Amino acid sequence: MEDRLNLLNGPETAEFRQKFKIVFALLMVIFFVLLIRLWYLQIIKGGELKQKSEINSVRFRKIKPLRGLIMDRKGQLLVDNLPSFDVVYMPGKVKDYEQLIEKLKTLYKKKSLQIVFDQHLPKVVKPYLPIKLEKNVGMEKVAVVETNAMDLPGVYIDVSPVRLYVNGEMMAPVIGYTGEISKEEMEEGNEECSYGDVLGKHGVEKALDAYIRGRNGAELVEVNVHDKEIKNLGRIEPVPGYNAVLTIDSDLQKTAWRELKGRSGAAIVLDPRDGSILAMVSSPSFDPHLFNSGISHNQWYKLQNSPLAPMSNRAISGQYPPGSTYKLIVAAAALEEGIITPDTKFSCNGFFKMGNRTFRCWKNHGHGSVSLHRAIVESCDVYFYNVGKLLGVDKIAKYAKLFGLGEASGIDLPNEKNGIVPTEQWKLARMKEPWQPGETISIAIGQGYNLVTPLQLANAYSTFANGGTVWRPRLIKRIESIDGKTHKEFAPVKNGNLTLSKNTFDILSQALWGVVNEQGGTGGAARRLNADVCGKTGTAQVISMPENEKLRRQKKISILLQDHALFVCYAPLKDPEIAIAVIVENAGHGGSVAAPIARRILDAYFEDKAKQPQIMAQSLTANQAKQ
Amino acid sequence: MIFLKFDRRIFQNFDWTLMALVLSICAVGILNIYSAGYATSEKQIPFYLKQIQWIAIGLILMLFIFFIDYRLIVKGAYIIYGISVVLLLLVYIHGYTMRGSQRWLTLGGFVFQPSELMKLTIIIALARYFDDHKSNEPYKLKELFVPFLIVIVPFLLILKQPDLGTALILMIIFASIIFFIGINWKSFLFALAGGLAFIPIGWFFLKDYQKERLITFFNPENDPLGAGYHIIQSMIAVGSGGFFGKGFLNGSQTQLKFLPEQQTDFVFSVFAEEWGFIGGLVLIIMFMSLILWGLKIALHARDLLGTIIAFGITALISWEVFINIGMVLGLLPVVGIPLPFLSYGGSAMVSLMAAMGLLMSINVRKFILQR
Repeated sequence: MEDRLNLLNGPETAEFRQKFKIVFALLMVIFFVLLIRLWYLQIIKGGELKQKSEINSVRFRKIKPLRGLIMDRKGQLLVDNLPSFDVVYMPGKVKDYEQLIEKLKTLYKKKSLQIVFDQHLPKVVKPYLPIKLEKNVGMEKVAVVETNAMDLPGVYIDVSPVRLYVNGEMMAPVIGYTGEISKEEMEEGNEECSYGDVLGKHGVEKALDAYIRGRNGAELVEVNVHDKEIKNLGRIEPVPGYNAVLTIDSDLQKTAWRELKGRSGAAIVLDPRDGSILAMVSSPSFDPHLFNSGISHNQWYKLQNSPLAPMSNRAISGQYPPGSTYKLIVAAAALEEGIITPDTKFSCNGFFKMGNRTFRCWKNHGHGSVSLHRAIVESCDVYFYNVGKLLGVDKIAKYAKLFGLGEASGIDLPNEKNGIVPTEQWKLARMKEPWQPGETISIAIGQGYNLVTPLQLANAYSTFANGGTVWRPRLIKRIESIDGKTHKEFAPVKNGNLTLSKNTFDILSQALWGVVNEQGGTGGAARRLNADVCGKTGTAQVISMPENEKLRRQKKISILLQDHALFVCYAPLKDPEIAIAVIVENAGHGGSVAAPIARRILDAYFEDKAKQPQIMAQSLTANQAKQ
Repeated sequence: MIFLKFDRRIFQNFDWTLMALVLSICAVGILNIYSAGYATSEKQIPFYLKQIQWIAIGLILMLFIFFIDYRLIVKGAYIIYGISVVLLLLVYIHGYTMRGSQRWLTLGGFVFQPSELMKLTIIIALARYFDDHKSNEPYKLKELFVPFLIVIVPFLLILKQPDLGTALILMIIFASIIFFIGINWKSFLFALAGGLAFIPIGWFFLKDYQKERLITFFNPENDPLGAGYHIIQSMIAVGSGGFFGKGFLNGSQTQLKFLPEQQTDFVFSVFAEEWGFIGGLVLIIMFMSLILWGLKIALHARDLLGTIIAFGITALISWEVFINIGMVLGLLPVVGIPLPFLSYGGSAMVSLMAAMGLLMSINVRKFILQR
């Protein structure tokens, strides 16, 4: 310690003194530079800058980019952009806001126009950031504002792009909508986000926002007292977003929407070969253009709180009991586990007793003695009560999970639900009660705690159809730059494998074929010549208490408590290329309500396919003719 | 036991000058932040109240550090350095993101910015290193490799956040200390060449907005984007203050919120608008006095350790003051460097107060430590 101190105050101090002198000189230089600059700005330029501060006339304007277009697999436009004229004002220029509204109202009145304005003013306003009074106004209003610019200081018309959803309601819950960035989104966003930016809020618009948003441009302009531009000080062009190509086939989508319209429900069309979604419909829907003209608080509240939930995409967010469509999974489990053989028979008298509870078959007088094939074709409940009892709930759950049920499929859309595949452990954790054997009986026919999303259901059957590959359903085909070059390709992704023996596949696909094509099959309504449709009907009880059975039969029950109609199918039997799930809420029997819808979708698909070779042939001959 | 001996002389020789300077600059800061937030109607605790709270916490820490012998603190320099780097790593892994930069850690409701602590830590760590490796000759490049490593690790972590301003401050402190303790001429030229070579490489690592700011600064004529707007509004604010200023709470640029970041990086333009040239002059003289006082402490410290620490702290404050005011006055590009004691921010305030405590500790111990 002593040594160190001695060494310190030796020769080095002198050197440091020298350094200190240099440092001191430097400090003085910087000190005077700052003072001179301060003097220059405040004294020499002071007057000029003071004037500038009084009429602070420099405006920083953001130029919104064009959002990317959204197209279907054939290149048909689903979402386009339109110019929107907004009436905006600069808070810094408007002394009395109430007065401004009054003035605008009287001006409008002369042309018998009404002001549409019921938005709340933001709490904190910045004088140089424009605030929108009215969004997406008509040309008459634009004319009123432009011609009365002198009387309306600080008010002007702003042009910005808005979304045009070509098919309107048809795809709204899937494609979503856009809106101005919210406070929460601002906080988690990055440096590039700022007040007034337009973001995707739902569906594809939200999922692909980063790609299709584009980048803001900007310009700095000097304006006069009336906020008219006098001088443009510079401009940076906005960068438009990438275009998105979906796997959707808009013709199929149209058919599915037309068939489902007016009812609540969902329809999904998948390509079993790679999990591409050809159509995804959720009904009822909403008008996505509502958000362009600034949806009012009232409208928003109605949309959000409607019991019909028009904003929700039922195909991925709706969870339903699978009903008898679940029998495919239970049958596969029973065959694989060796619980039954195809020849195992159970006798159905129309009910099944377990302890002191009675479980009914949908057919009051029973099916008699049935084997597996007929049990599926005729959808005999008692047969599956027996099978379920032998299997136990956990075995059923094991296979349900192999089919991709019970967890989100991972589709590239927000708000996908997981569904529920109950197990003994699940119930213990969730309800703190042990599993009751009677509950397994309901599970065996897809009732009870079972919940699936329509997408999961379609994908489960699609997996079975393609021989066991669980594809991740995909809605996005690729992202393109404006000139049509591929920016990013979304390749099919495998979620897992459904490992069943070939025998099981054969037996069950024959049975599914029988459902649609055999005498007495419940899915006859989906039959189509030469298409070899395979499918399964389902009727999901919303309330499963037996005492309601009578009321149900008498149709005295409220519409919201009626059964959901389900139908899932794929076609053709050999090398399937299309899988469909249809769910119609509170509509009754799957075979009579959902199956005909699926049939019309199949028609559209196969008719379109029949046209393809002709078109191809035509274009071929056309090409040859050119040469 | 020399480290912990509580000596009467500690109280007799308390550095009232430094204390008075710090408190008066802080007082200016509180008034100014009060004005900057005056016209905001947001329902949250006003910034000036929070700033008072940070100053209070800082003062307690300052007095605590003042009582401890700085040589005891430097014994743990590498541990403090290690903790600071770990904190920066935590920011990198699990940091809190605001406006696109991941700079903060959340600790029970408070947000804490480890890079502010790093500014002080780096000074202590470098002081420790050079004290352990004393030499009567100017240092050569080879001998500077370890200190360079000490600086480059936090530098890169902070640059990644991204926080160009703070990262640059670390490098500038490093350069200042090296210049001060002496570097071999050849090594100096070599390091300079290396540094210049880094500029084009570093360019690729800059974020677009950072590049824009730099381009804007060098081409002020075609600068329609954010940075140009900031500089113009800031210069209008300062200039319109004139000789006597517009008066407290009367700055139109400030009150109408034309100024960007007016509580933090552009706090000086608020002050200059409302207090004019006179106010600006007084504030700059206050900072100058603080800096010169810091240099005096460095010059008269009892050992090399004290000299380096005091010089490093003084250099930190000088550079931050000059770069910040230079930026507000349109002399330097816009990089996010706060104005010491005036900009709003808890982490910066508390670490600055800790630095002041170190200065006091060094100053008072020249009377106590024996040769």
